[in-house]
Amino acid sequence: MFAYVTKRLIAMPFLLLGVITVAFLLTHFTAADPLTSIIGERQMNNPEVVEAARQRWGLDRSLPEQYLVYLGNLVTGDFGTSFRTRQPVAQDLILRLPATLELVIAAMMLGTLFGITLGVLAARFRGGVIDNLARLFALIGASAPVFWSGLLVLFVFSVQLGWLPGPGRIDARAVAPPFVTGFFTIDTLLAGDWTGFRSVLLHLLLPASVLGWTVTGIVSRMVRASMLDVLSQEYILAARAKGASPVRVLLHHALRNAMLPTLTIIGFSFAYLITGAVLTETIFAWPGIGSYAVSAARGLDHPAIVGVTIIGGAAFLIANLLTDIAYAVVDPRVKLGAKAGA
Amino acid sequence: MEGIFRTAARAAAAWAALGAMGVILPAAAQDRPLVIARNLEINSLDPHRAFCDTCQIYLSATYQGLVKLAADDRSVEPSLATEWSANENQTEFTFKLDPKAVFSDGSPVEAKDVKWTFERLKNLQGDPSFMMKGVTAIETPDDKTVIVKMESPNSEFIGILAAPYTGIINSEVASSNGASAGDDAATADKGETWFLANSAGSGPYVLDTYRPDDELRFRANDKFWGTAPAIKEIVIDQSADAVSQAQMLQSGAADIAMQVDPDTAETIASPDLTIETVPSYNYIYVSFSPGAEGNQTPLDLEVRQALAYAIDYQGAIDFTVGGKGALQASPIPNGFPGTEDLPMPEENLDKAKELLASKNLQDGFTVDATVASINVYGVDLALLMQKLQQDLSRINVTLNIQPVASAVWRQQIANPGIPFSARFYAPDYYGSAQYVQFFGMLPGSWWERNASGQGKVDLVNQKEVDLLQQALAASGDDVARLYREIALEMINDRIIVPVVSPNLILAYRNEVAGVRYSACCNLPLAELSIK
Repeated sequence: MFAYVTKRLIAMPFLLLGVITVAFLLTHFTAADPLTSIIGERQMNNPEVVEAARQRWGLDRSLPEQYLVYLGNLVTGDFGTSFRTRQPVAQDLILRLPATLELVIAAMMLGTLFGITLGVLAARFRGGVIDNLARLFALIGASAPVFWSGLLVLFVFSVQLGWLPGPGRIDARAVAPPFVTGFFTIDTLLAGDWTGFRSVLLHLLLPASVLGWTVTGIVSRMVRASMLDVLSQEYILAARAKGASPVRVLLHHALRNAMLPTLTIIGFSFAYLITGAVLTETIFAWPGIGSYAVSAARGLDHPAIVGVTIIGGAAFLIANLLTDIAYAVVDPRVKLGAKAGA
Repeated sequence: MEGIFRTAARAAAAWAALGAMGVILPAAAQDRPLVIARNLEINSLDPHRAFCDTCQIYLSATYQGLVKLAADDRSVEPSLATEWSANENQTEFTFKLDPKAVFSDGSPVEAKDVKWTFERLKNLQGDPSFMMKGVTAIETPDDKTVIVKMESPNSEFIGILAAPYTGIINSEVASSNGASAGDDAATADKGETWFLANSAGSGPYVLDTYRPDDELRFRANDKFWGTAPAIKEIVIDQSADAVSQAQMLQSGAADIAMQVDPDTAETIASPDLTIETVPSYNYIYVSFSPGAEGNQTPLDLEVRQALAYAIDYQGAIDFTVGGKGALQASPIPNGFPGTEDLPMPEENLDKAKELLASKNLQDGFTVDATVASINVYGVDLALLMQKLQQDLSRINVTLNIQPVASAVWRQQIANPGIPFSARFYAPDYYGSAQYVQFFGMLPGSWWERNASGQGKVDLVNQKEVDLLQQALAASGDDVARLYREIALEMINDRIIVPVVSPNLILAYRNEVAGVRYSACCNLPLAELSIK
């Protein structure tokens, strides 16, 4: 497995270079000149302002030159400066990536926990009320658009009931914790700010639940199907015959084996959520990578678009690798890097 | 199995406890920061590169100009300058600075700061640099006197100086942090990054924190030399759309929502909230570009007149902003110099048909109508286009609507041109010249270039050129008279046809006082207080 992981890690920079090249070229072949978003339209016919902006942002150079300069800077960790926020893209990403990761990890935890629980219950009570309710819940979660479910839960839980706060990562009146990890849950704790921690946790609940609902839907259906398959196996019968308790049979013997295909889904879901949290971040004014990507695309912010693409590409590559490793750990039959039939 | 249910029950209890913790606790109103829900959309916090609606709020709170726009939104009053005068032909302006004025670090505001600020604004070649166009020299005979000389008359210069982009910067602090005002400032200046984290003005507030797309936080300037603001801390919190802003307001997370549209406002029913509708100087217009490449039918003056007559203006106001808007006669908005008693746009289908028949176009034609798919001041431009599509179909004209991203629109309007489109405008300062210079058929103006297809057809209106020169050199009542003549010329050009001036909706909690719309600054933060 070590050799396999090493090979994958060596291949990763080359794959990322491909991602960077494609992203760089695609952004530069769009129909609109990025200057249209750098300069206000009232100055677009002022040649002095246009020239000054071209020079300042390096747009007066040829495309190959821009590409080589970009790659050279990238090696030193310089992702360029955002046309839109006017700050280094690396700084923007450092501030926003933890926000997205915090949201996605919370969503994954909630989604996986509820998904597995619902899947197990649905399989255990197959065809009954619980099964039907679980499937309905999963169906809604997998198919309801976030812009609808997000606004709905905000309206119900924040506006009408007043149980949970509205958009944002922390109460707007509170001061954000000093940046240590960028995870507000951790940083408020490190700062000993319990009020802030409570605010952060409560602000996290609604967006994480909405985002996690999608995962719940997918995971519960996968767990249910796998559990039904596993529960019909002879070794389950054998376990029951040995006198194992129903809970032990369900959780220890059946669920562990049913988790194998589910792990793949969870791994892919994680990478998908990182790049796909766009709508949730927009609805909940969550300053993460997703909302950054949307704003960058709308504003023809080339450095930011390429920066986000690199992060997205890296997330998929790492998630794939971790899924493969997890697969091997959970199922000893899987030998990473072994040739087929060997 | 019981184990599972026990675990589930514990989890449910934990969730319920968390929910209970979420009940918003009342805070001491006077001590808490005031929160404004708004879509930030900030392009910069550098006063000489910034150019956006939120920038106006920010700059007017943290910097002060030599003069400021009064609450009547028309006249100017002293700010850093206690008095000022202009020579007879409006080419030389002299200002006396208030000796009490100090920056937020306690250092006095001096003439050298004014000179440095105006020179940087001009030389940086940023979006607001046009405000210093024509300035040839800035003299500082003593620490408290500034003389600005212009190459040609500019009767609007005092009005321009009330714009937040001309706020005076502490030159020593800014220079020591990379800012440059020299002739080479466009390439030599490195101050923007510093300005994104710091302010260097004399305004009632200072910048506390700025996180793009997240929050803009102000702290009261404890060295402010004027009347101290009532609110010690103000946060403009990112909220992208009207519905989210309304929800923040209703839930108590925000005290003011700035971009609530009429439809959303109607859904807000709370005794704790005040919803005010006020007229604005912002407007949405349609444009004709006879020089655009995509024209299948020449959009000459009669055709443009016919199309303008076919528009149901009141219907468009009802459709887009639920009737909460006003008609506007010319590209110079209602209430600006020269707009009194102008003829309002008229819907006249018979006249429209007659004009088309005179050009043998009674059977109609198709016009490309590319439009930015954005919602601005509560008006969805693509939806407005659909309304116009219905209107024009009555004279057999078909609009081929193509919604595009705003940046793409800005590229296409210049080249290859867009025959028929819709766009918006908000004032940069109180004065009519900006509209003539942008919308008028002056050689090289933005709309002359776009509408003519970069000079393919001749649209220049020499009368507007001459009248503008006279207006910029005039004073007193002559100013309004001359701009009125220009406005009539611009109406007759039929290149820019205003459709709706949407009202602004000010939505805020009842305990907040001092909420008002300002033509230069959107929302003057220093006037806010808690009752």
